[in-house]
Formats: sequence, C-alpha cells, structure tokens
Amino acid sequence: MSQTLAPVRGTAPSPVSLRRVFIADARSEWIKLRTVRSTIWALVLTVVFTIGLGALFTAIEVSRWDHRTLTEVKGFDPLLYSFAGLNLAQLSIGVLGVLVMTSEYATGTIKLTLGATPQRSVLLGAKVATFSAVVAVVGLASCFAAFWVCQALLAPKHAGLSISDPGVLRAVTGGALHLVLIGVIAVALGAAMRRTAGAVAVLFAVLLVVPGLVTLLPAPWNNDITRYLPNSAGAAMSAVARFPNLPSPAAGLIVLCAYAAATLILAALALTRRDA
Amino acid sequence: MTFSGTDGHMTRSEGSRPVIELRHLTKRYGPVLAVDDLSFTVAAGQVTGFLGPNGSGKSSTMRMIVGLDAPTAGQVTIAGRGYSQLRFPLREVGALLDASAVHPGRTARNHLAWLAATNEIPRGRVDEVLGIVGLTDAAHRRAGELSLGMGQRLGIAAALLGDPAVTIFDEPINGLDPEGILWVRQLLQSLAAEGRTILVSSHLVSEMALTADHLIIIGRGRLLATGSVAEFIERSEGHHVHAQSPDADALLGLLRQKGATVTADGPESLSITGMESRDVGIIAAQAGLTLYELATQRASLEDAFMELTHEHGEFRAATPTPLEIAA
Repeated sequence: MSQTLAPVRGTAPSPVSLRRVFIADARSEWIKLRTVRSTIWALVLTVVFTIGLGALFTAIEVSRWDHRTLTEVKGFDPLLYSFAGLNLAQLSIGVLGVLVMTSEYATGTIKLTLGATPQRSVLLGAKVATFSAVVAVVGLASCFAAFWVCQALLAPKHAGLSISDPGVLRAVTGGALHLVLIGVIAVALGAAMRRTAGAVAVLFAVLLVVPGLVTLLPAPWNNDITRYLPNSAGAAMSAVARFPNLPSPAAGLIVLCAYAAATLILAALALTRRDA
Repeated sequence: MTFSGTDGHMTRSEGSRPVIELRHLTKRYGPVLAVDDLSFTVAAGQVTGFLGPNGSGKSSTMRMIVGLDAPTAGQVTIAGRGYSQLRFPLREVGALLDASAVHPGRTARNHLAWLAATNEIPRGRVDEVLGIVGLTDAAHRRAGELSLGMGQRLGIAAALLGDPAVTIFDEPINGLDPEGILWVRQLLQSLAAEGRTILVSSHLVSEMALTADHLIIIGRGRLLATGSVAEFIERSEGHHVHAQSPDADALLGLLRQKGATVTADGPESLSITGMESRDVGIIAAQAGLTLYELATQRASLEDAFMELTHEHGEFRAATPTPLEIAA
C-alpha cells in the first residue's frame, strides 16, 4: 500500500471569495443529488404525476363534455385539469426537498458538509439554489408536456389553448415555479427540523390537512384564509381563469415567496445557531 | 501517581511549533459539562495521542476544533485562526470524526467526489486517496456495503482528501483488524514525519503508546496530564518488589528497619517499594530468612493510565465498599 502524499501544501495564496465557496458547494450539491436513487425516483414520480394526472382528468372532462352543467361550462379553465397533477407532484418534490437536508442528519454526512463549509448560510444557499434549479428543469419540462398533452386532448372539442394565448405561458411557468417554491420551503423545513418524519409531517399538514380544516371555519374567514394558504397561492400561479377563492397569479407568487422566505430565515437561524 | 498533572506542561520535542491551540475551552450540553476549561497545544511533526476514558470529552473537543459545535467558553485556533474563518478548510484541516457518516446508497468514489467538490479539490485526488487507503477496488461499491474496516478506511481517505497540514482522527482504529491497525499506525507516523500535525484520539493506551510521540490525557473533560510518551512510560513505571516468604513477619520488620515501605499482601506475601529486589534478597539471606519468590513487578502503561483516570472516569464499575457488603 502506497502512502506517498504530495508535500504539505501551504494555505491557499489568494483569499477565497464567498462566491467561490457558493459555486463549489453548488457543484457538490449537484453531485450529492444525482448520486442517490431517491432523487431519481422522486423526480420520475413528479413527471408522472404532473403529466399523467393532468391527462387523466382532462380525458375524463372530455368524455363527459356534453353532460356538463351550465356553471361547469361557464367556469371552465382549460388549464385547470392540465395542472391537476401538480397537487400530487408538489408532495414528491416536498419529500425530496426535505430529504436534501434531513438525510444528511440521518446519515451523519452533515458533519462532513459543515466541516467542509463553515460558512453555513452560504451552504444553505447553495443547497437551495441547486435543488431549485433541478426542480425548475423538471418542473418546466413536465408542465410544458402536461400542457401540450392536455390541450391535444381538448383539441377535438375546440376548447384547447395555444401557448401563445394570453396568460398561458405565464401559467405553465407558474406551475413549474409552484413546484420550485414548494421545494425551497421543504429544504428549509428540513434544515430547521433536521428529522425527516417531523419535517414531512409539517409539510403534508400544511399542504393537505390545513386547507380542509380551514373550510370548516365560518365565512368569510374560511375563504379569506384559504386565499393565503400555500396550496391556493400555488394553484393561482398556474390558472388562467380567475376563481373566487384564489388570489391573482402575482399575489399567489408573492404569498408563496413569503412562505419560502420565512422558512428560509428559520432554517438559516437553526443552521448557524445550533451545533451540528 | 508521579506523572505530572494539569499544571505541568512537560517539554515538547525540540523544534516543534504549536499548531492547534485550545485556550480554556469549555462545552456544556444542558446539565452536562462535557469539556471543562481545557487548555493544551498540539505541535507539528509528531503524532499527538488524545487519551481519555469513554465519555471523557474527547469527541466534544474534536467537534469544537473543527467548528461543528460552538464552545460555551474559551476558544480553539488552528495555525492562529478559528476554523470558521477558514475558506476551503479541507485543504488545511482533515478530520475523521465518524466513519459511519456516509450515505449508504452512494458509492465510495461519489462520496469522496462531492466532498472534494466543496473545496475545489481536483477529481484526480479522489482516486489518489482511494489508492492511499487501499480502496481502489471498492471505489464503485456502495458505502453501505463496505465492511466496518473498509468504512474506516473511507473515512481516513476523506480526511486526507485536501492534503491537509493538520489531521484529526477520532478513534481511527475502531473496527480495524490487526493488519489495519498496523497500517493506521504507520500512516499516522508517516504523516507526522512529513511535518504534518496529527491529533488522534483513543481510549486504548497501549495503542497510543505504540503510535504517538506525545500524549494529552483528559478525564471528565479536564486535562489530567500532557507529556511525551517516553516521559509517560518512564514516570509511570513505578515498580514494587513482590516477595513470598514463610518468615514474612520477620522479613517485614527487617525491611522496614532498612527504610523500605512494606505491606503484607497475605500470610506469606509482601509488597515492597523503595528497595530493589537485589537488596531485599541480600537482606533476607544475611538474616537467614527463606525466600521462595522474589520478583520486581512493573506497572504497565495501562495501570498508570487507569490510576490517572480512575477518579475521573465517567462510567466505572462500582466496587462495593465494606459497608455495602455488611449492609
């Protein structure tokens, strides 16, 4: 066994900028993401949910086309069903985002990660940026695919939209952005809570349980609060028609960004203030 | 126990400079005082053994050195700087704190690849360190499938990744077979010979006696002793003479007259300190007393360590006192 090592190197001659640390960490996070199976599975599920469920719900709508009620016909948004799958896709992205942080605590690699980058906020930023970029690519691809598949299904009824129709491009990118922001919230929750089970439970409660509970509140509280839940904010971003319970697409984006910012602040505090 | 205590920093080997410096380092986890006002220095060019019983605060101290845990009080610097001030710290400090800290699904090579990327360490260095630790053939095996010993080697590879001038190893021989232990010993010594600073913790004093040049001994988070291994061995090998004689009572009185400290271990058994066995034999012969056993018994390094840490051990088997037996 050879034990020869290069002669001891001095400290790096030029001071390393935080920007360089960030880029190095982003590269490292990309390697981490693509070298575990859970990433591949979660992303495959995201694509399947987004395209598959969108196509399924659109096909059902087309099959009962002539039996719809007048209100259904009037309130029809050709994109609503296209993006029905995002409700499920956001959960697989959410679990993957939580795991980006919590799997490091579960396996202990967080000790190596933080030992390699004592600038913990920079590390958090690199993690969030890398994961967001991956989700953006997968989200855009699956949202565009879902859009085209579903509009093709609606074409025989002459109800489909073109990508150049008003608001459509915004809605498709909005769907992808919805996934990205849920992903950011999930990574931040993972960093703040450290435990997979706890962070997933909180995320699912907010996305699945809270919306149901809020509808039980007396009016107008139920509708007012619903508008500001992450679910509604995300749905607003990928809708073309306006729904009474949803905020405007821009307001939806702002609300979801606010959730992401708040959880990121919690995450940065937990990461920098607590022992690894 | 004659080995110097907390106040007696003994001479370091000539020409070495302190690289890791702890000043009044203290760490409290809730009600537990894990590290208690710990001050010592670790010099370059030698292997420094960090000894203490389990739970004595070795790991907590090492976690603070590499910035994972923040000290409650005091500070620790590496080459004059705090760890958190370092950019690309792996190029300066390599640490093996927990060899099981790997994602089981990732291959050994990918495990090192992501770690290398964090500090802009060239990809070629990954294969180089895999070669150094003898894991080239296991490079594409998942970390979860590696044996305990191979996992330990992967952890050592990670510590060497940045070709650091300072390396810190927490119990590196855990899980290694005798061949692996020998390999780690030689590796640490060759790293030190290259002028690097090596801090290696262990609860096995015999292993440290073979591996280290210098020892830092702690118990219950407090510094008990520091010094070179040679000094430790020299000072700790206080010895006593064991004698068996049918005339033990007479011999006891005679030896005490001549200035030895003598205690009776049994009806015909004496334990003598302050006198060489040769003199005991001569005195007995001159008095016409029969000896059927005469031997010098040397305290081992382990005994010295046990004695030093005895009252400081966190977890110690309770020895029943006579009172408890009577009750």
